[in-house]
Amino acid sequence: MNDKAPDERGARLEAEFAAREARALAMGGPQKLAQRAAAGVLNARERIARLCDPGTFVESGLFASSTSNPADRDSTPGDGKITGFGKVNGRETAVLANDFTVKGASSAATNGRKIAHMKRVATQRGLPMVFLGESSGARMPDHMGARGMGSLLGNDPTQYQRLRETPWASATLGLSYGSSSWYAVLSEFNVMRKGAVLAVSSSLLASLAIKEDVDPQEMGGWRLHAEVTGFADQVVDSDEEALEAIKAFLAYLPAHHNEAPPVAAVPAGSGEGMRDILALLPESRTQVYDVRKLMRTVVDAGSFFELKPRFGKAGVTGLARLDGRTVGVLGNNPQSRGGAMDSDACEKLTSFIVLCDSFNIPLVLFVDTPGFVIGTEAERRRAPGRIMNMMNALALTTVPKLSVILRKSYGQAYLNMGGGRNSDEVAAWPTAEVSFMDPVFAVRVVHGLDPGAPGFDAALAEMNRANEVWDFAQVYAAQSVIRPQETRDWLIRMLEVHRLRLTGGIGQHLMRGWPTSF
Amino acid sequence: MAVIKVKSEVTGSVWKIVAASGARLDAGETIMILESMKMEIPVIAEDGGTLAELHVAEGEVVNEGQLVATLHE
Repeated sequence: MNDKAPDERGARLEAEFAAREARALAMGGPQKLAQRAAAGVLNARERIARLCDPGTFVESGLFASSTSNPADRDSTPGDGKITGFGKVNGRETAVLANDFTVKGASSAATNGRKIAHMKRVATQRGLPMVFLGESSGARMPDHMGARGMGSLLGNDPTQYQRLRETPWASATLGLSYGSSSWYAVLSEFNVMRKGAVLAVSSSLLASLAIKEDVDPQEMGGWRLHAEVTGFADQVVDSDEEALEAIKAFLAYLPAHHNEAPPVAAVPAGSGEGMRDILALLPESRTQVYDVRKLMRTVVDAGSFFELKPRFGKAGVTGLARLDGRTVGVLGNNPQSRGGAMDSDACEKLTSFIVLCDSFNIPLVLFVDTPGFVIGTEAERRRAPGRIMNMMNALALTTVPKLSVILRKSYGQAYLNMGGGRNSDEVAAWPTAEVSFMDPVFAVRVVHGLDPGAPGFDAALAEMNRANEVWDFAQVYAAQSVIRPQETRDWLIRMLEVHRLRLTGGIGQHLMRGWPTSF
Repeated sequence: MAVIKVKSEVTGSVWKIVAASGARLDAGETIMILESMKMEIPVIAEDGGTLAELHVAEGEVVNEGQLVATLHE
């Protein structure tokens, strides 16, 4: 029996609760928080507040802290990683935000349990998972020695398993090493803020290991990941923009793999540019253009959300909507390398196909490619493997796939870009040309004639005629030849025709265990 | 001031230099046009900046990955 008055007891409990809560919410202390604010960088709690709909975040593990080292008990609020559930665009989402002000958000025993719980709930209950990355890596004192290793690492065999049950979206928002980087590259989407670094370990450690100065930006900055590795799907200037990008990305995806993507209202002005779309395609086949302008014209107004714009640029990938429904738009961009696909482009298109197929997003392919980049460098970059990965991905796709041949489609690239039965429907513009090899080179190979040689022009003219769309339609290799201005309407109709009615819009996800990068 | 090195994506020859040295370029603007694979392939400024230096001249052969221009952001 309690001999104190109930209100007194309540006050006492409240006082302790409030004091503990205040300590936890203080994170790494006013000085560190002030430094971040002065640098124009949000702290972990501000990031969560911006990501989640107001008042919806329920924290998990507010009173957790380090247990490995008694001295850390009261100096590690949240153990440096803030976790919980909040609504993003009105939809329940599991969130992990690294708090760099607490021991550099380093990975340790307690926060490892917090992350595992988030991932488990997200997977079992069908919630998207968001990682806000900024971590110095493993908390060294805790992990050192055989006992540290044995106690802390490897005890959760699913820790880095990806079976794409629910979409993962990540932002790299500061120095990001170790698990923070692992989760970024395991995610479907990673947005990087300029100034952040994504790497295996710190430049300091790298300098010690290889005994030379390593520049952090060169080792893991945005330019490297946007242009060379492809690990940055988008690059932004601020934390705020990064959080908006995550929200925008998730809005295209279902909450989990057993659900069809959400349907949005069709914005006013959609399809407005269709009447003049042919003007975006140069008349001369030697001139190039930016296929993204054409894609933006076809899809719902303002809905094209490009991924990896600076990586493998001969390939274009982006989420978009057609008549309010999410589609994965991929294509060749003649503006880069004439649309000839290199290893990076193949890899980019492959991982995008896997993303879309895993989350029930139909594919729309815009085709204009003279083929693959060939030559010594291409072989050194493992072109055959990349080409076949992409081909296999397309073959394993079970969501609807529609292709539109705008201009060139040659050789094996014809198959990789959905030619023949590699799409559910093939449409060709009257400007399409299809053959095994570009006619200029084919005349040399077949007739042994170089440009300028007698008979070259006649042979070239005959080859060009034989590549025309009408022969292609005659053998029913294209199910439809469409007027360019009808492209949007045709795609919307065909997406209706091919909707996955038998499974309520759900594909078979045959690539759910494929790597998230190759 | 960040220095942006613009490299050629393809092997080919410089057909036409479009931007003048010292010009202020917006992201997405064309610096020069190469001829490669029987096509006119533009070299584009992915980031806006001032065109500080052109490293090639019209008619010159360029290799894939070769530095063709330097921009100052």
